[in-house]
Amino acid sequence: MHLLRLLAVSIKRQFLEWMGWRAFLITLVVNQTVAPLLGLAVWSVALPGSTQIPTYYMALLIVQLMTVSYEQHTFSNGLYDGTLSHELLKPQPVVIGLLGTNIAARLLHVLIGLPIILIVGAITSISFAPVAPRFIVGVLLAIPAVLLAAILRFLFMYLLALSAFWTERAHGVAGFGETLAFLLGGSAAPIPLFPQSIRPLGELLPFRYMLGFPAEIASGSLNEVLQGYGYQVCWIGVFALAAIFAWRAGLRRFMAVGG
Amino acid sequence: MPTIIVKDLSISYKAPVREARLSSAFVSLIRRQYREIKAVQGLSFEIDAGEIVGFIGPNGAGKTSTLKMLSGILHPTGGEASVLGFVPWRRERSFLKEIAMIRGSQPIGGPVELTVLDALHFQQLIYEVSDDAFQKNLSELTEMLELGPLLRRQVRALSLGERMRAGLALSLLYRPRVLFLDEPTLGLDVTATGMMRRFIANYCLQTGATILLTSHYMADVETLCKKVILIDKGSMRYNGPLITLSTTLSPYKLLKVTVFDQASPVWSSYGEVVELEDNKVSLRIHREQTPAVTARLLAELPVVDLSVEDPPLESVIDQIYKGERV
Repeated sequence: MHLLRLLAVSIKRQFLEWMGWRAFLITLVVNQTVAPLLGLAVWSVALPGSTQIPTYYMALLIVQLMTVSYEQHTFSNGLYDGTLSHELLKPQPVVIGLLGTNIAARLLHVLIGLPIILIVGAITSISFAPVAPRFIVGVLLAIPAVLLAAILRFLFMYLLALSAFWTERAHGVAGFGETLAFLLGGSAAPIPLFPQSIRPLGELLPFRYMLGFPAEIASGSLNEVLQGYGYQVCWIGVFALAAIFAWRAGLRRFMAVGG
Repeated sequence: MPTIIVKDLSISYKAPVREARLSSAFVSLIRRQYREIKAVQGLSFEIDAGEIVGFIGPNGAGKTSTLKMLSGILHPTGGEASVLGFVPWRRERSFLKEIAMIRGSQPIGGPVELTVLDALHFQQLIYEVSDDAFQKNLSELTEMLELGPLLRRQVRALSLGERMRAGLALSLLYRPRVLFLDEPTLGLDVTATGMMRRFIANYCLQTGATILLTSHYMADVETLCKKVILIDKGSMRYNGPLITLSTTLSPYKLLKVTVFDQASPVWSSYGEVVELEDNKVSLRIHREQTPAVTARLLAELPVVDLSVEDPPLESVIDQIYKGERV
């Protein structure tokens, strides 16, 4: 309960902080929309007349904004410029501050991205009417998948950001991770459209479960939803354990050599 | 029981090193070489509740490393420490709620877009300060630190002096019992420095807090601290009253003599001439020789004025820092 209260304080604090960066926020949001919109444009040309493609990329756009993570900036930079020391002095786990920053950023991304979502929806003339019941089921089933994707993407980026304890180039590590997420997460191409030979890889790796999987459910691919949740939970477990291990090892290193 | 107990505290770390040549750079890609830096070695001292202790030493002496270990940011490689009965590097919540570390180079951490009042409110929530205590402490801090005009301003727009005042308010809002102040007057103008010194002294007086203060400005130490700990190259050089620092570390006295205009003595026959101006001279004399030299001066010269002083603290410290004889 106390941790939840601290998290609420942190979200509120970071929400106010992000509000001070309006112009920067808009550029970040626009930047986050590029990959799904690019995918939408390319695949609409490649598969003309498909009703699933616009719905998928629309859902992907929303998932992208709801799961956005910048720990390579919020955490790694704090470690490089020494402000992590301030966080270590606070009577709360350091991750609370990072989570607060992450959630506040996501809320603002969705809020600022809403006009873009509406405009894209109007341009692509997505019509859910013929598949309304299926759509409602899809959206309902996508909600847990989005929540799990949000946790997974945070843990993934946090883990990469923790490399800052060992390298001065954590941004490079995180950038590589983001590229993998773009290629194998369902932005460059929906996983079901992957060539047969590499599709199992896409379905096994964690990237699909950060982005593409919730979008697939929302666009009506309701096969193996439970299995997908299972993958998400497993990957969350793996990344959570890895992040705990990396944090402890990194903190030991930081506390040994100073910040 | 002392508030701070430090026994044989040490910290060392490995720093990568290599020769300057390109070939060495290639070699270091495969095989890195390290040098062990002993930042603090076998440091031991105790500080009682309510004391303000100056922690002085040249750059790289290990002052900040020690403060970081005592505030729980760094883990020592050897020795023990206890602050308010806690082992600092375990970073227990109850410990962190009782201490504050303020660095003059970075007085405020966290979001800079917030106003000072926003930041104070969040500090209240994080440190679980009751509303009554918050109002009382805020009004006291506002008065003592002249915070009124700053409360509605964003942290990022504050000047260095204003940041320091705001940083102090944020750190003292929850009334910590131990304060680690690392160069609190760094870069401040005369007025802000004076205000800071008065504030620190008042805070200690009012709350009985224990303060360990590092500063390169000896005036800070002389104004605030009755006791000093001097470290150099990670090791203790002196731990005791400020007043006896010069006596202990300097085997010399300063003899200031003024003679009649007509006299032209050979001053070097009495001692080492530190300063000579017309008929006034400052001589550096070994402590044991001071009475004899004084007697000789009075007997042999037409002395108008004579005083025997300890060398100024600033110059004693300067010479220790330079590694020269004192």
